[in-house]
Amino acid sequence: MLELLPHLLHQALFGALAAAGFGVLFNFGFKALPWCAAAGALALAVRTVGQDLAWSLEGASFAAAIVTSCSVSALRRHLGPACNAVALAGCIPMVPGAFFGQALLGFLSVTAPNLVDAEATLIVAVQSLLRVIFTLGAIGAGLLIPAQLLRNQDF
Amino acid sequence: MEQQNDPVITRHRELERIANMALRAGRIMMESGASVSVVHAGVGMIARGFGVEDVGMRSGYASLEVTVHAGGNTITRMMQVGRLGVNHRLDQAIRRLAVRVSQGGMSVDEVEAEIGRLVRETPRHPAWVVALAVGIACASFGRLLGVDWPAFGAVLVAGTVGQYMRHQLLHHGVNVFIVAGLIAFLAATLGGIGSTLLNSGTVSLAMMASILLLVPGVPSTNAQTDIMDGYPTMGSARAVWVLMIMVFASVGVWFAEALLGLRSL
Repeated sequence: MLELLPHLLHQALFGALAAAGFGVLFNFGFKALPWCAAAGALALAVRTVGQDLAWSLEGASFAAAIVTSCSVSALRRHLGPACNAVALAGCIPMVPGAFFGQALLGFLSVTAPNLVDAEATLIVAVQSLLRVIFTLGAIGAGLLIPAQLLRNQDF
Repeated sequence: MEQQNDPVITRHRELERIANMALRAGRIMMESGASVSVVHAGVGMIARGFGVEDVGMRSGYASLEVTVHAGGNTITRMMQVGRLGVNHRLDQAIRRLAVRVSQGGMSVDEVEAEIGRLVRETPRHPAWVVALAVGIACASFGRLLGVDWPAFGAVLVAGTVGQYMRHQLLHHGVNVFIVAGLIAFLAATLGGIGSTLLNSGTVSLAMMASILLLVPGVPSTNAQTDIMDGYPTMGSARAVWVLMIMVFASVGVWFAEALLGLRSL
């Protein structure tokens, strides 16, 4: 387990940086940015542990979103109505944008002339697209379920 | 003269001001990244803060409509909604204002002035800070995807330049989908050239990581939230928008890969 620690720390660190970077893009204030970074680190740490336990990307993303949303909800007295937004910013690094791009590039490849292995290309593209849909669904549901059950205030 | 003294017309004018002001607050929330249920709740809170008894709303991707009813009078008004982005601080400021208005004691003039002040004075990070932060985010995304350290620097530069150019193009009113295609081409090309020059072994991944600033994470989760909250029309519209952005971004990457000889056109 200890040998996995550097990888876990690496993923958490870059999850934090990605979440904070997107927090700036989303115009979070400087006081809220460390919370975005912490949420990103937590989300990526949980997802990495899940994947190290041989869970699917979708299952690990769902667990990470649930844990992040619950953790941020526990801080709602401190964060106020912004807690849902902080949880969302923390989960942004898990949005499978690269798979989305790969899926669409794969579909574009299928239409190319003189394609050698059309079936394999198509299957990879479909797999990537399905992975995007299910992972996005897992993240959205993981964020929304605790927020609804714990009755986080939007105002 | 008679019209000015007609109590029904006077009340309609008051309701119209309340409806338009509440819609303006709702439009700002929508343009700042709020989900439909939050926008509806905020508009309802503001309208009820002025004694409105019933509030009905309909949200489209590009417009909001509200019907307010008070004292036997009913009025319906619609307002255009601009490009949907994300502005957390402005969104939260308008939500706090909605809470204050719902508690009563504010006039329509005061609320209108406060909305105007919030739009003018809510701070935004400078464009160069946002660009650098997005560059760091893209490079971090790259590490999460598995790019090597030489490519990390290339993705950082490509993401920073890409975000700065996106800001400039959107500021000049260029269509958001065309911007997505152009920036994907630019960022992927810069990421690809940079990582090649730095002897990276993960050039293709670096090109993909360089365009991750374009992935619309908030709209895609908002799409799902809207559908789960009972607004499938708006959720579907957001999902189609996300898909179109990614199609344009992918075409940009496709051309960048063709330019660098990684793919034939």
